[in-house]
Amino acid sequence: MESVTISGNEEQVRRFCAYRIIEHFALILLFGILACTGLPQKFYYLGVSQSIIVLLGGIDNMRFIHHIAGGLFTMLALQHIPVNIAGVMFFKWQPSMLITFKDARDAFHNVRYYLGLSDNPALGTRYSYKEKCIYWLVLMGGCQMIVTGFVLWFPVFVTKFLPGIFIPLSKTVHTSEAMLIFILVITWHIYDSVLSPDVFPFNGSIFTGYAKKKQMKMRELSATGEDIRAGEPGLLVDRNRPL
Amino acid sequence: MRTMICMINIMILFLVLSVAVLCNRVYAQERAEGRGKQYCLDCHQQKGSEKKFADGSWVATYVNADTFSRSVHGAMDCTVCHQEFVQGHPHRSFRSRVQYQIMASRRCRECHPDGTITSRAIHAALLKKEVLGEAVVCTNCHSAHAITRVVAGNAVNAEEKRCMSCHSREGRMGFVNGEAVPTHVDTTELRGSPHKDVGCSDCHFGFSATEHPVRKFRSEREYRHSSSEICRRCHYDKYSKVAEGVHFALLNIGRLDAPTCVDCHGTHAITSPAKSRLAIVRKCATCHSKVYAVYAKSIHGNALFNEENRDTAICTDCHSSHSIKDTASADFHDYIPDKCSACHSNAAIMGKYGLSTEVVKTYLSDFHGMTLSLYRSETGRRFGPPPAMAVCTDCHGIHDIARVSGADMSAMKGKLLKRCSACHPGATENFPDAWLSHYTPGLRVAPMVYITEKFYRIMLPITVVGILFLVLLDIRRYLKNR
Repeated sequence: MESVTISGNEEQVRRFCAYRIIEHFALILLFGILACTGLPQKFYYLGVSQSIIVLLGGIDNMRFIHHIAGGLFTMLALQHIPVNIAGVMFFKWQPSMLITFKDARDAFHNVRYYLGLSDNPALGTRYSYKEKCIYWLVLMGGCQMIVTGFVLWFPVFVTKFLPGIFIPLSKTVHTSEAMLIFILVITWHIYDSVLSPDVFPFNGSIFTGYAKKKQMKMRELSATGEDIRAGEPGLLVDRNRPL
Repeated sequence: MRTMICMINIMILFLVLSVAVLCNRVYAQERAEGRGKQYCLDCHQQKGSEKKFADGSWVATYVNADTFSRSVHGAMDCTVCHQEFVQGHPHRSFRSRVQYQIMASRRCRECHPDGTITSRAIHAALLKKEVLGEAVVCTNCHSAHAITRVVAGNAVNAEEKRCMSCHSREGRMGFVNGEAVPTHVDTTELRGSPHKDVGCSDCHFGFSATEHPVRKFRSEREYRHSSSEICRRCHYDKYSKVAEGVHFALLNIGRLDAPTCVDCHGTHAITSPAKSRLAIVRKCATCHSKVYAVYAKSIHGNALFNEENRDTAICTDCHSSHSIKDTASADFHDYIPDKCSACHSNAAIMGKYGLSTEVVKTYLSDFHGMTLSLYRSETGRRFGPPPAMAVCTDCHGIHDIARVSGADMSAMKGKLLKRCSACHPGATENFPDAWLSHYTPGLRVAPMVYITEKFYRIMLPITVVGILFLVLLDIRRYLKNR
């Protein structure tokens, strides 16, 4: 992790590199476009949906925008997966997003904490089990959306190889999964990053690249990026590599 | 003595003058009591005289004394209606015959105010048009001097008798191009029609006991179209719908073969369209014989012709009766699901035949139905015209709709692939299976889709509730820690 910087009275530590910041910005933009152009299609019978559709110049225009955003989202996912696999395999990146047994233990511990059976919350690693959950749900859901979106976009091509039933099946998965991801993001992710008392009013580390040292301490990370609980797997971070 | 003689002479003169004045008063009183009717008839019984108007039109001044004395006004003196003639025979001038008739009608309405006549539909309709600026002339229907009591159609019968004295006989009305139509009217047909209480002159405007204008038409079609204009007087709502339709559009471009009111409804033998759906189909067939032949073999036509089924779709159910739209227009095509839905979403009708009422709902929840409904709501707000979306007729056929089970099913699948390929070039035989044929997914039909739907239906609420629960626990613990 990069050296500590001072912003105002609070010490901050480098948490995300520019690559991650840009990636997250792109994800927000594409997620927003896909949600704004996708949800009105699912709930087309609502007045607000029809107003959005008309605003965008009709359903054909809206579908066009949705397809373009979907294509860009696919490219974002396609670069993310191999880049990170290659990073871990060849550039000694830490696989800090992999779910470990500790995450299960942290989740179980937090339930005890919430119920008043424990005095302290689970001490997370570089990424908490909540962040890992939302990451993997969005990544896996995103992959589902890409595959089913492709089927819906090119039904004639797909039915050359697959039975026709895959079209309505893809539609069901695409629309339902979209709802699931949308709900996860606007509730869990927004709460965890904006509304949670731990980070309120806003955890802007993904936008600035820096996190408050105090908050990182809560994650048992030292200002230099080293775990204060030695021996935990997957916590040592190469400070010069994307995280 | 001389003075006395003078006084006697003055008295005699005064007496003579008094008698003269008294006689004049008695004569005037006699006229007022109706005995002066003959005074008017002395002149007006003479045939051949007429009153001319500024625009060249005229009206006969002849009055048939016998007819008048038998009329409901027979006991009345002429001046009761012609009030301005009490003190003489003033010269009046009118712009036209219509203006004269309107003035005369005002006299009628002094004794028969609007409130007393609107109970009859024809009066109500005419008075409604008067508000819109169309003149109402009582004598057009009731005649001027031959008015009979309007009870149980007596007025009509009296008029009918007059007209039928000629029109009960065989005759021909010729046109300039050599065509001719029979002038014979079958009163039996007329009495069986909805117009049984309508008089001849109600429709044959301008004809009365005293008038039978000679009109010239170039052809029978021209005469038919002219006659149809008469219907407009009472059936303006239908007329305005026809004016929006494809048949009227043909007429507008000079196609006299375009059907008009009497072509579909008949002339004197008008029957209520609701009485015979078969007759409606056969009426359309007079011009659309090819379509009729195809329809007759379809599932709808078969039910109509072989089973006399009153629920089955006929021409007017889809094309409507009067505002018939161009079938090539988006206005017609895009609303086909609504037309099919009128019957196929009606549980009372479909229940009789064990057919699903979900067909339109399933269509609208799929890609084509959803897109079409959006296209329709975007009308006038889009950047350009929308492309045509597949509707019911694209898969099921138009007039040749067949059963969707048994042997017909395989033929339909073949047609389906062909139709899909028109918009989706390169579609293989797998492609039409993307459409679940109006079935909702279940364990028997599309089980994979059904299970997936159920999975998400359970997962979504669990996710929402789970997240909210975790958030609440987190906040609770935070508050407790404070």
